Amino acid sequence: MNGALQSSSAVPLSAALRSFAAQWQARAADPLSAVREQAMRRFLDLGLPTSRDETWRYTNLRSLAAQSYVDAPRRPRGGIEPNFALSLLGESERAGSLALVNGYPSLPAAGAAIEGLEIRSLRELARVDPATLLRFLEPLSDADQKRWGLLNTALFVDGLYLKITGRVPLPLLIQHVATGDGDASIAYPRIIIEAAPGSSATIVEQHVAQGANTPLSNSTTQIALRRDARLEHYRVYATDAGATHIDALDIRQDRGSQCRQFTIVLGGGLVRTALEARLAEPGASLDSFSLLVGHEARHVDCVNIVTHGAPDTSSTQTARAIASDASRVIFNSKVIVEAGAVHAQSQQSCRGLLLSPTAEIDTRPQLEIHADEVKCAHGATTGRLDPDMLFYMLSRGLDRTTAQSLLVYAFLADVLTGMSVASARAAIEDALIAQLPDSQTLRNFR
Amino acid sequence: MLKITDLSARVAGKDILKGVNLEVRAGEVHAIMGPNGSGKSTLAQVLAGREDYEVTGGTVTFEGRDLLALPAEERARAGLFLGFQYPVEIPGVNNVYLLKAALNAKRKAAGEPEVDAYEFLTLIRQKMKLMHMSDSFLTRGVNEGFSGGEKKRNEVLQMLVLEPKLAILDETDSGLDIDALKVVSAGVNSLRHPERAVVLVTHYQRLLDYIVPDQVHVLSGGRILKSGDSSLAQELERRGYDWVLESQVA
Repeated sequence: MNGALQSSSAVPLSAALRSFAAQWQARAADPLSAVREQAMRRFLDLGLPTSRDETWRYTNLRSLAAQSYVDAPRRPRGGIEPNFALSLLGESERAGSLALVNGYPSLPAAGAAIEGLEIRSLRELARVDPATLLRFLEPLSDADQKRWGLLNTALFVDGLYLKITGRVPLPLLIQHVATGDGDASIAYPRIIIEAAPGSSATIVEQHVAQGANTPLSNSTTQIALRRDARLEHYRVYATDAGATHIDALDIRQDRGSQCRQFTIVLGGGLVRTALEARLAEPGASLDSFSLLVGHEARHVDCVNIVTHGAPDTSSTQTARAIASDASRVIFNSKVIVEAGAVHAQSQQSCRGLLLSPTAEIDTRPQLEIHADEVKCAHGATTGRLDPDMLFYMLSRGLDRTTAQSLLVYAFLADVLTGMSVASARAAIEDALIAQLPDSQTLRNFR
Repeated sequence: MLKITDLSARVAGKDILKGVNLEVRAGEVHAIMGPNGSGKSTLAQVLAGREDYEVTGGTVTFEGRDLLALPAEERARAGLFLGFQYPVEIPGVNNVYLLKAALNAKRKAAGEPEVDAYEFLTLIRQKMKLMHMSDSFLTRGVNEGFSGGEKKRNEVLQMLVLEPKLAILDETDSGLDIDALKVVSAGVNSLRHPERAVVLVTHYQRLLDYIVPDQVHVLSGGRILKSGDSSLAQELERRGYDWVLESQVA
């Protein structure tokens, strides 16, 4: 058991913070205790981020702060039966699949090894090789986009460590199951992916919910791509309106490594996704794609921060946001080119489509350049369906709903066509189409 | 087939059409000519059902039906086709999907079954050959990255596949070189039929060398000032529009 921690903050702790402190006290000591304690102290001192914090301007967490949370259960009641899951990868289309229930992994049997992949639980890694794990937990950061990450570091009990050692031809599926058992609860899924030099893989993380009382999911995924490694990574949210996700994805890229990252939000009540990437060595490149669909009263807040920390690095960010009903979608992206990162190239394209007068989209592409000879472009537009395009289609006899749906679908094409996993793309397209007004006709188009 | 009586329309608060009268019978080809800003394109768009163009007076009947009471999509299904002066690019919507959807919408309205996929492809390939279009048009987005001439050919291709009763072609000739003009004209001529009619909106007489109209009208200041047979187009080419305008004043 850990000792009690006091916050140095003059402000009284919120119910949420008090409950997190109680969780901390109940944790058993482990080889990571020193860094965990630091993280917990920082978190209690800094508190939950508020709308005064740069990357949280548009997302109010007051209702979360007013709740008390207990640890989410380690196992579901009965088996794993999500309320709804996209069929992203069929059995023959994947290298394997792993499930994490509220962050607790069930590892494949010893005989079911996947060539080119080393899979361990974080508990085991902490026991046998804490130095490797500590390299990923430190250093801690006070940045507001990392605030929930501090809490995750302090309180995750288990998680997944994947080492990609060779070329893995088929994608690996990781299913995050969030399931509660009554009280308001919180889960701390943690995944660490390390791609060895020259290795390549595709990893698909899907977040699903099971049962009612879905826990608050505070997840962190860290990816390190060593020299010339290649990774295509997906994170897909298709949970129901009761689900809250606060997810942080950290990517560090070494020389010549290539990463393609897709963030797909099709469900959830409050979904906050952060992507922080560091192109640390020359020749590293990142293509990030975000497809954010706001529906009903959904709140989707996506933050990307890409840092070019070396010469000849390149990044693209392609974001498409759609908001209907009374939903709100935020895409906040920032590219930082550090001093010395000459010949860096970056491109940000954010487009928003408003489908109802009560919906809201906020996009904010930003650039911070401290080097010469760089090529950085950004563009952001938000609007309604183009009346000229609509009239053109109507003048050809198409139904209004069909024409509108087709235009919405076309709007998303830049992200969809970037996906190289055909089955995942098809499943995501299907789910998207199902949310559009004239889904039947659209299905016939494909 | 089409009867326009005293039609007035306003665009962005400005009166553009000020009492247009025109009758087009089945089997006829009419040309509407006139100087820039005379209201030619507005007339075409109003007939096709553009919502932000406000009709302030007059009537239009199409085969006896009140055309102005129908939304754009129903006008199209009833057999009216507008070839756009500036065809819109719609990235992400496949050119052939749109065409197939358009054809099926028309067939559905006529109580016919959807077109068979193989039959459709055969039809479209045949029409594309006529329009000298390469297979790449099959896979591209609607007008996406098409040159000016390619867009116009694509408009005529759509017309050939949809086989409208009344085709209104708004400056389909503008921006075409002479070879493309011949191809486009051949496409339009292939559609001429005793039960169909064509209205060509054009700026130049050049197109009318290839598609010979039955009647030529001069639209200026939102009204049709003069009508005649195809020789009127030649006279306009020789003498310009001022002559018509002046003769009106006198």
